[in-house]
Amino acid sequence: MKWLDHLVEGSARSLAKRTSRRSMVGYLGALLVGATAVPLLPVARGATPDPKAPAPKASDPKAKKTDDPTSCDYWRHCAIDGYLCGCCGGTQDTCPPGTQMSAVTWVGTCHNPLDGKDYVISYNDCCGKATCGRCMCNRNERDTPLYIPFQSNDYNWCSGNGTANVPYHCSTARIVSAAR
Amino acid sequence: MSKVGMLLLACLAATSASAADAPNVVPNVVTLPQPTPAHWIWVNDFVFPHMVSGKAMLVDGDAGRFVGELDTGFGSMRVVPSLDGRVIYSPETYFSRGTRGERTDVISLYDPAHLSFISEIRIPPKRSSNLPMMANAQLTDDGRFLVVYNFNPGQSMTVVDTQTLEFVGEVESPGCALIYPTGNRSFFSVCGDGALLNTVLDDTGKVKSSDRTKPLFDVEHDPVTEKAVRVGDTWYFVSFSGTMYPVKADKGSLALQPTWSLLSEQEKAAKWRPGGLQQLAVHGASNRLYSIMHQGELFTHKDPGREVWVYDLAQRARVQKISMQHDSGSIQVSRDAHPLMFSIFIESNVLDIYDATSGKFLRSVTDIGTTPTVLVSP
Repeated sequence: MKWLDHLVEGSARSLAKRTSRRSMVGYLGALLVGATAVPLLPVARGATPDPKAPAPKASDPKAKKTDDPTSCDYWRHCAIDGYLCGCCGGTQDTCPPGTQMSAVTWVGTCHNPLDGKDYVISYNDCCGKATCGRCMCNRNERDTPLYIPFQSNDYNWCSGNGTANVPYHCSTARIVSAAR
Repeated sequence: MSKVGMLLLACLAATSASAADAPNVVPNVVTLPQPTPAHWIWVNDFVFPHMVSGKAMLVDGDAGRFVGELDTGFGSMRVVPSLDGRVIYSPETYFSRGTRGERTDVISLYDPAHLSFISEIRIPPKRSSNLPMMANAQLTDDGRFLVVYNFNPGQSMTVVDTQTLEFVGEVESPGCALIYPTGNRSFFSVCGDGALLNTVLDDTGKVKSSDRTKPLFDVEHDPVTEKAVRVGDTWYFVSFSGTMYPVKADKGSLALQPTWSLLSEQEKAAKWRPGGLQQLAVHGASNRLYSIMHQGELFTHKDPGREVWVYDLAQRARVQKISMQHDSGSIQVSRDAHPLMFSIFIESNVLDIYDATSGKFLRSVTDIGTTPTVLVSP
């Protein structure tokens, strides 16, 4: 869900320049070959964020908006596409009240400028209410076409699997692990 | 009001009004010319801030006039006009209580003369909800079967018989997405490893054969987008960096033709690349391909552009550059002998119209929807 790039492209592009490419395409592509209609889940199912993951330091003058979860420039948002849950009653890790978190989603690899490390980010959608409409953000670092689903931010991930087969509301940006 | 009263009112009004302003006392609704003129265009809109109320809007490109609309439900994809122009198919999703309740997916049929609902065909509630692509729903070449991409996140295709107006069944497409028709009973899908899944149907719409090619695209280093366009037996896929990958369907098999670049070395150095939501268009009769271009880094493959570059597909050479009035994210070219090129961008709702041959800007039509996505010729 592509838009508002021009508002953020400077930041996104500078990040893209700094960040090494850690493609999971081959890995995911291999996983998808031979898959059946049963979902394959290369990402955590609504995993709790790693408590060991470092939190951005808001006092750091280098952080600027990259430490603000309601900003499109927030470092975890490098491959997000949708409304930021932090602006919709939730946070970058939690869904707003009355919604439900999608069990499957797409992942990105984002660079945290505060510790200089890359992290795998899971963009679980929050589902079950009308679109939030606040803080639209689209950045496409390592975004892939629809035929590589788990790195594609063009899918509505509320439309999968049973209980979350409901409308899209907003998107979180949860740390899965440090990228290796 | 009584008939006498209405007549009296009409007579009184007629004495003080010109013929052009004559009172119209009989309620009336517009009927559209058929077949739908070639210079009209469907602008699909999934209305991202209000996804339950998607729609498709019809615009007259010659007159620059909004003609009418269809309401196409949650996460609207795109309309699919029948080949004979007598019906419009629309894959749609609804929830029984607006944003909650039972999900129902249907193919709705609409009358193009009245933009009115005719009937619907129930399909499994697993139609893919994604940023709309032309390849989400396609007709086979003879128009008999409508094929719709499913993602939940298992991948499959729903097949509907447009002759019997029945859901035929599902075609499993493990690891492969979207629909690129190649014949009356065949289409292919693109797989996550860059291979193609070649599916052949029988005359009832059931799978007759299915096989995978070896990987044809370099998905790791320079993936092709899923926004391919077709001329005759060849589908044209373009990569993030602007390399063209023609895929030819020949006697039931799929073959990658020699690749070529949309860009010179100097243009690559200047960071020109294709981008957009519906970034390519073709005019089959003149064998010309249109590509939205911008200057940007890797992963700006969805960025809009201010230029459209035109290529002669036989020569594999650029023949024209068209400067755009506004940011362009989606383009379409009409199929007639004097084609128009239409352009719109999801962040804007201004439809720009050009002479597709000369590249001359003709007119804009404002206030076309909310988040317009793909443009479909009738």
